[in-house]
Amino acid sequence: MRAGFTLSDRAVGLLFIAPFLAAAIFFMVYPVVEAIRMAFYSYNPLRPDLSTFVGLRNFEFIFADPLFWDSFWQATVWTLLSIVFQTVFGVAIALLLHQALPGIALFRGLLLFPYIVPTVVIALIWRWIFNPEIGVVNYALQSASLIKEPIYWLSTPSMAMASTILLNVWKYTPFVVICVLARLQTVPLELYDAAKVDGAGVVRRFLDVTLPQLKEVLIVVIVFRTIWTFNKFEEIYLLTKGGPGTSTFNLAVYSFEQSIANLRLGVGAATGVVMMVMLSIGSIIYLRVSGFGQDEKSP
Amino acid sequence: MDVKLEGINKSFGQVQVLKDINLVFPSRKFITLLGPSGCGKTTLLRMIAGLEPVTSGGIRFGERVVNELAPRDRNIAMVFQSYALYPQMTVRRNLGYGLRVRKTPKAEMDAAVERVAAILEISHLLDRKPAQLSGGQRQRVALGRAMVRQPDIFLMDEPLSNLDAKLRVTMRAELRRFHLDLGATTIYVTHDQLEAMTMSDMIAVMHGGIVQQFGTPAEVYGQPANLFVAGFIGSPPMNLLAGELRGDDKPTFASPGLTVQLPNLVAHPPSRDVMLGIRPQDLDLVGDHEPADLRGRVWVVELLGSEKLVEVEYAERKRVTVQVRAETSVNVDDTVGVRLNARRAHVFDIKSGATLRS
Ligand SMILES: Nc1ncnc2c1ncn2[C@@H]1O[C@H](COP(=O)(O)OP(=O)(O)OP(=O)(O)O)[C@@H](O)[C@H]1O
Ligand SMILES: [Mg+2]
Repeated sequence: MRAGFTLSDRAVGLLFIAPFLAAAIFFMVYPVVEAIRMAFYSYNPLRPDLSTFVGLRNFEFIFADPLFWDSFWQATVWTLLSIVFQTVFGVAIALLLHQALPGIALFRGLLLFPYIVPTVVIALIWRWIFNPEIGVVNYALQSASLIKEPIYWLSTPSMAMASTILLNVWKYTPFVVICVLARLQTVPLELYDAAKVDGAGVVRRFLDVTLPQLKEVLIVVIVFRTIWTFNKFEEIYLLTKGGPGTSTFNLAVYSFEQSIANLRLGVGAATGVVMMVMLSIGSIIYLRVSGFGQDEKSP
Repeated sequence: MDVKLEGINKSFGQVQVLKDINLVFPSRKFITLLGPSGCGKTTLLRMIAGLEPVTSGGIRFGERVVNELAPRDRNIAMVFQSYALYPQMTVRRNLGYGLRVRKTPKAEMDAAVERVAAILEISHLLDRKPAQLSGGQRQRVALGRAMVRQPDIFLMDEPLSNLDAKLRVTMRAELRRFHLDLGATTIYVTHDQLEAMTMSDMIAVMHGGIVQQFGTPAEVYGQPANLFVAGFIGSPPMNLLAGELRGDDKPTFASPGLTVQLPNLVAHPPSRDVMLGIRPQDLDLVGDHEPADLRGRVWVVELLGSEKLVEVEYAERKRVTVQVRAETSVNVDDTVGVRLNARRAHVFDIKSGATLRS
């Protein structure tokens, strides 16, 4: 071996992960720590010099704010409905695409479409689609004589909520489809044959063979989709700006409004901390209850 | 219940994998489909099970044509190569699944599961899941799941191939025993001729989608119908020597280094170019100076335990394998004579491969 400048394997390993570690600390750890710190401060971005430690005052503020609670319940409704529809549609479409039909590969490819298009573009397109005067949805419904008056999709509260859910379901169902489809392709075919010989019909084969095999992937998908949907900001903001009024506020929009519009960055940060705690606790309970990771792999 | 296959053909797209299969499997017999990988054994079994549609031809169980019946209506049970146990269910639920699907009363179902578990000696495993079982235990559960419904026909696709050699030998005997106790027709797929020989009442030897011979183990071993069966059945494999036939009344096989009269050959063979088949057991080593049919040099000696396999090179790059008792003293490069039991010789037409024996 050549004498001189040599590093141990360990040092080389550390060197290789150092760039990622630096980036992760700078872009992930630091902002989180900073946000948690800020939740205990009163901080006006226009007057950083007046920043003061306020203890739990920010938390007291949000828990006493009716808009926080409205946002919380609306976020819960939006998340729950989005997840339920995404999961049901996702599994159904995956089962369809799993069939060996001619040309099915084309449809599998099209699945990625909602991913390729940036959210901003999608939100703008959907605003046009939902436009009460010139949108294609109302046009179609009116042409089919299903409705007489145009529906104000984005400017009546319940319809606005439905529209945001629709957008979210449309955009993220493919994620569920891809995960489920990948798992479906690994289900041993002999299990279906065994079930057929045992006398199971289509429904029982789905319940007793397919669904148990999908259990783990569905648990993971639901956890991730819940976290991402509960935290979602840009879809709601781009489509409805939280309106009409505050009817489509979720906690992310609430936090944004407090921080940017009301210049109460500390309150916004406190909201973020509350969301983080809620999602962590929720996820842990869910994973425990669903028995994730304790299930037996197929032998 | 007997199983009749009448003119079965099967194609996947353009590829024909089974060609005009005509077989009758007698009721309550243990029948083995034996053949090398890819010859269509699994495909045929799956068609009998109703898991694969028949391209043409008819399958009958007894007198009933079952072509259009779904697997569940055929009263069959099947043991899969991978066992295909439902991973999320306990052994108890796995065993009872077929009964539960058929809405059998709970008490009856529990009794049936307990009975089968007792027979297979897996009662202590009933509350485990498949992942917590060894390969041999899984195999038993798969077997139990098939037995619990008391099917007319038992189908098994290489159920022993995932077990270690020792367990395989034990299970062979057990499977045979269960077959006798159950009184169902068993159709068993394997590529292992030893399994086929030891367990079966009848063997269908398959190759290239065609049934080469259907008969008892003694028949396929003792009177192979063609070159393929001759080469496939028997371990160590039969010696096959190319040569020609001479003389019409007293047919004689002749090839470089070997001339032998064949007493049980048909008088006027249709062909002159033939293959002589003789099993290593039907050859004997003699000393260098005694009369012999072949003479040559010992090429290699393999000890099998109670026997020795001796390969003798009798002409340039032509060898025969001789099986002798282990005590026989023989060394590499010895010059030896080989005597051939001509009554046990088989002669095959080289072109068609068919046997020329009367
Ligand atoms: N679903 C299918 N589509 C197309 N070809 C198939 C299909 N299933 C089987 N084959 C072909 O049919 C032939 C017979 O297959 P099969 O599985 O019956 O063989 P096998 O005798 O059971 O072999 P092995 O001992 O390896 O299990 C093979 O050449 C295989 O490639
Ligand atoms: Mg096979």
